[in-house]
Amino acid sequence: MDELFIAEKAFNSRLLIGTGKFASSALMAAAVDASGAEIVTVALRRVDIENENDDMLAAIDRSRYLLLANTSGARNAEEAVRLAKLARAATGINWLKLEVTPDPYYLLPDPVETLKAAQILVKDGFVVLPYINADPILAKRLEDAGTATVMPLASPIGSNRGLQTRAALEIIIEQANVPVVVDAGLGLPSHAADAMEMGADAVLINTAIATAADPIKMARAFKLAVEAGRIAFKSGPRAASGKADASSPLTGFLRDQ
Amino acid sequence: MSDRARGFVPRMETLKINGTEKQFPAGIPRTLTELLGQLNINQATVVAEIDGRIIEQRSFAQTRLSAGQSIELVRFVGGG
Amino acid sequence: MRMLRATRNADIGTILAEKGLDDHSAHWRQHLEAVTADNVEKALSEPAGSYNLQKLSALISPAAEDYLEEMAQSAHELTVRRFGRTIRLYAPLYLSNYCTNSCLYCGFNRLNQFERTRLSIEQAVEEANIIASEGFRDILLVSGEDRPFISIDYLAELAGRLRGKFSSISMEVYQMSRDEYARLFEAGIEGVTLYQETYDRRAYGYYHAGGPKSDYDLRLSAPESIAGAGMREVGLGVLLGLTDWRLETLALAEHAHTIIKRFWQSHVSFSFPRLRPAFHVEDSQFHSFGDKNLVQMMIALRLCFADAGLVLSTRERAELRDNLILLGVTKLSAGSKTSPGGYSGRTEATGQFEIDDSRTPAQVATMIKDRGFEPVWKDWDKAFLEKSPV
Repeated sequence: MDELFIAEKAFNSRLLIGTGKFASSALMAAAVDASGAEIVTVALRRVDIENENDDMLAAIDRSRYLLLANTSGARNAEEAVRLAKLARAATGINWLKLEVTPDPYYLLPDPVETLKAAQILVKDGFVVLPYINADPILAKRLEDAGTATVMPLASPIGSNRGLQTRAALEIIIEQANVPVVVDAGLGLPSHAADAMEMGADAVLINTAIATAADPIKMARAFKLAVEAGRIAFKSGPRAASGKADASSPLTGFLRDQ
Repeated sequence: MSDRARGFVPRMETLKINGTEKQFPAGIPRTLTELLGQLNINQATVVAEIDGRIIEQRSFAQTRLSAGQSIELVRFVGGG
Repeated sequence: MRMLRATRNADIGTILAEKGLDDHSAHWRQHLEAVTADNVEKALSEPAGSYNLQKLSALISPAAEDYLEEMAQSAHELTVRRFGRTIRLYAPLYLSNYCTNSCLYCGFNRLNQFERTRLSIEQAVEEANIIASEGFRDILLVSGEDRPFISIDYLAELAGRLRGKFSSISMEVYQMSRDEYARLFEAGIEGVTLYQETYDRRAYGYYHAGGPKSDYDLRLSAPESIAGAGMREVGLGVLLGLTDWRLETLALAEHAHTIIKRFWQSHVSFSFPRLRPAFHVEDSQFHSFGDKNLVQMMIALRLCFADAGLVLSTRERAELRDNLILLGVTKLSAGSKTSPGGYSGRTEATGQFEIDDSRTPAQVATMIKDRGFEPVWKDWDKAFLEKSPV
């Protein structure tokens, strides 16, 4: 069985799904179902006490999905740690997507604060899944700190630009001893398949599904793409051959002996 | 003569909720559960922090409130 | 290549056992004989510089011998891309040929009778000065298993004396503990070379009859101690000619792969010590290992490890070295003396093995330039990092 192991828990699906940006809770729940995902991310926000709120958590069957709270909104390690503890108190789950994004334009993750927060949270018993830019050294630092995965971005959140960080992702995948989940910027199922063919262990998709004209169909498309990409990776694809230009022979001297 | 004419203003109890001062003319709710009820917030899906301390959901009904406390009410929403 | 979760934290001994690479009587020989031209072509189509055991077995198989030229071109191109057109030069400094091990293949075997020599710190510094005067800034301290004299304290003191003159000090000495490696790292030694000699348990037991080096598992654990202690350079190798070189290459690669995955800040190099005529050693029981095999081994490893160093010593003939440097070599020794005191010529002490490239460093440098490479004597200037006296 080609199961995905994160923190010694086995999963069949290599597609993680985010729940933001959907038009409604019902649509979100249906898309999550169609995606086959087993891990579902959610965010924490202050309750708007002036208005009645749509309670989206009720739409997710907690017995079916592992709820992965993220710390989106945190701009530094201290805020992230606070949000993490709130999330753990709310759900009793100690899994956490660590997201520290001080930049409100591109929502790029802060490497320094992320590492700081990860070190604190791992020590406090959290299973930490850190969202980072595709920085191979940072990935190793986080792994050394004890995070359960690394989650490098393919391109900025919501940009749907695909694997812009391909070269760095390849290095991360090669060097990692923990699962690599490509998160953010995957806009099409083919991007997701590409990431899986490269050897990523899983992908996390939100915007591309939530903002599609038909999110439920798109969720299914991503599900199939992730499966196809993974099977392709495991079946040992032959790369396009690019033969070196003939130049002077390097092993001729062996014949002269 | 009314109290107001003599310069006496009854002290209004407030709580800081999610960063905003909120006044309670009839007095602050006695417990967290009562507060959530007043605000029409579903208790089951909310996380609460009082003066930086996280309150477990099961303790909401027993958690007494005092005037001037800073309360954070947070819930799960959709996110990536 | 990603490690499976189940074996992620398995040690190299377990990994070798699971893959049958510590026992040369197992199935690998047949597996390698069965490799086809198609298998080799598939291996060659995989990204150059990436490792997996399947790929390497195809590249070192007998079938791959028909593809050497193509492999060589690829290896050359990859090396130039990653390392530039440069070759680093280093010199060995032999400190002692006393030894408490009795390795059957070695001239320094404890049981061999010959006049042994050790250098005092002052004598070692004198030798080092000669080496530096030739232009070297990269030095390798070498010793037999002579702990009582060439102690950790001795090595630390010597490193302290040399670190001002040399930008890189490495050592190839007896195995020590991780703490001892860490201590020497602080003292200024940044690299350690230590060969497993053979990964086959039975052969290992046969060739290493006595002394501290006779413990296979202890020996196997050394590179992890070295890297774990913070050493920047970890040199691995097998003694070619002891056993089946193809199987040794596979085990060597697995070992390198575990070090690279676990110690991401350490740089791994491969050396290719080949059994050479040595004083007092019978050579009848050794396996054949010709130049063609050496070429295949080097370029196969290069095609699987884009960033590993490939190191060649003066054990090899001059003409062979000249041809090999186009095949992925990154580091060469030159003008080596393998007896303690050999540079000053003071002693007639016995060398560890016969040198076959006896050209001077200057001559080797000229050869390197003739081949279109730049000889690099020192990698970077550490002077500005040293605390300056106020």
